[in-house]
Amino acid sequence: MIDIIYRIGHFVLITVFSMALGLLFMGIARKIVARIQKRYGPPVYQPYLDVLKLFGKDAITHGFIFDFGAIMALGGVIATLFFIPLGSWQLYSMEGTVILVIYLLAIASLGMAMGTVGSGNPQASVGISRALMQMLGYELPYLVILFALIYRYQTSSVWGLMQAQAGSFLNWNLFAYPLMAAVAFVVLIGMMGKKPFDSMIAPSEIGSGPVVESGGKYLGMLLLQKSITIIIELALYVNLFLGGAENILIFTFKMLIVWVLATMFGSLFPRFRIEDGIKFFWKWPLGIAILQAIYIIT
Amino acid sequence: MRNEKDLLQLMNAHFEPLKLEIKRKQNVSVEFKKEELIQALSFLKSHSYRHLSTISCVDWPEEGEFELVYHLFSYDDLINISLKTRIKRDPGIFQTAKEIWPVAEFYERDIHDFFGVKFKGNDNLEELILENWQEIPPMRKDFDTRKFVNDKYEWRDYNGQKHTD
Amino acid sequence: MNNNFVKGSWQEILDWAQNKSINMLHYCTGCGAIELPPTMTSRYDMSRFGIGPAATPRQADLLLVTGYLSTKTLRRLIYTYEQMQAPKFVVGFGSCTINGGMYWDSYNTIKQLDKYLPVEMYIAGCMPRPEAILDGLLKLKKMIADGEADGYQRYQDNLEYYHQNQEAVLGEVQRTQ
Repeated sequence: MIDIIYRIGHFVLITVFSMALGLLFMGIARKIVARIQKRYGPPVYQPYLDVLKLFGKDAITHGFIFDFGAIMALGGVIATLFFIPLGSWQLYSMEGTVILVIYLLAIASLGMAMGTVGSGNPQASVGISRALMQMLGYELPYLVILFALIYRYQTSSVWGLMQAQAGSFLNWNLFAYPLMAAVAFVVLIGMMGKKPFDSMIAPSEIGSGPVVESGGKYLGMLLLQKSITIIIELALYVNLFLGGAENILIFTFKMLIVWVLATMFGSLFPRFRIEDGIKFFWKWPLGIAILQAIYIIT
Repeated sequence: MRNEKDLLQLMNAHFEPLKLEIKRKQNVSVEFKKEELIQALSFLKSHSYRHLSTISCVDWPEEGEFELVYHLFSYDDLINISLKTRIKRDPGIFQTAKEIWPVAEFYERDIHDFFGVKFKGNDNLEELILENWQEIPPMRKDFDTRKFVNDKYEWRDYNGQKHTD
Repeated sequence: MNNNFVKGSWQEILDWAQNKSINMLHYCTGCGAIELPPTMTSRYDMSRFGIGPAATPRQADLLLVTGYLSTKTLRRLIYTYEQMQAPKFVVGFGSCTINGGMYWDSYNTIKQLDKYLPVEMYIAGCMPRPEAILDGLLKLKKMIADGEADGYQRYQDNLEYYHQNQEAVLGEVQRTQ
């Protein structure tokens, strides 16, 4: 009994922490982009105000499927969160979590897709079809990398892959397999939908894509979902390539560094069209990932 | 490549224009009888005047006529030519140029919106720019804009004084 | 009594959050839209006040009507306004929305925006410069924080009046429900 209460408390703690951290990261990103454009930028805590405001607004629903899609998207990412070690916080650890995480993230995307089907807005459909196509683009090189790592360390849990890099920082995959880390970084930018791979949310083109019909509370919910997604993707990268961390502070610091770099890279490039984005993913990252995989296997 | 004078000669040889004029360099205006105009358009299209810039309309209430002006341009001769014709104001019906340039459909809808001219052969003359327009077409000279605006809209009241006074 | 107090303070918190975070939909009807890019970008940077652009009416709090409105665009503007979610504000922009401006005798341009939509405030000028826009938006923030910006409630309360005025110039207007 005590164990169950402890677990639930842990669930809630991790979820709230990730939401808060994700929103903080979003605020930091807005500030960084503003400074790169020689603007002052909004305050760092702006996303918290946005969420508070959005939950205070009215919202209209487009039917049951629309509601369910939003809940499925949020639930999908929260479920994913429990399989990722954040520093020493780890709820479930077993073989195969690397694959599981990829699949659970896809559930969140499918939840978004369901929401857009419920809203019936054509721009939302265009947006979500682009998002799913882009997923097809970046998952191929990512899976090649993951399988190579699984082969190399003979374990398929995120925790195990993190432990395998323990010891000196020279054991980190970032230094052991730098090409692979670079590919994963490009994939990370694509995963987070930052420029140049943000054609699915292009605000001036398709009116912010999947979230075009979500206003008020729905948008707040999707903002929270986005913030957790950011944390999951960053945490996966830190665990796989930067050797994780012993405690949450160092872990957060590592995530912050990756996030700032990704934001800076993102603010330098214009937007890829979706077919060019996929072509890019299947040409350079996939090619380099396969080369590195061959190097590991032989 | 023709110059302006060659163009006028060409027109004179094939049609009976009422008035020929070289307005300035690269700009020619020709007035036709209304029976000849559509022929002249297709003739000019086959003589390199492929570009229909626009169709415009002028209201002449004293004479009871509308003047339709077709603006063509040739990328070979680099000359603008304006083909003019006058039609009676009362039925206000003319032939469509849709068969020659499909885009003419929209110019004709525009003219139908603002002057009420009908084009035989163009059966898609619904409102293009105006919406739910009940009055006489607004660009006709007998349309009293000031009276219409006063009737339809309210002026803002600045302490009993209107800003239009 | 106690319940009312809680409700009131919660409303105050929401008003405070709303005034710090405004997503605006600039409805580019006229020339005023050209003054917004400098207001948003490096030179004047309105995002430091928590004001940013929104992509769709559903996500927006503030409807900026930037310039003259022909009756045809007024119809679209009303549809846009009715798609927005409840705490929503309208700001008229430039003299065209105040009294018709240079289009005062045009047969197809409305003269007073506040007869058709509940306008929170006007920014005068032809066109207002970015400084004037920022000044106006800061005043709007203050109004929101004080709970004075209640346009959407006025619209609900005087629905008959607004609908009558809209139908007088537009003819039939499509309504949901």
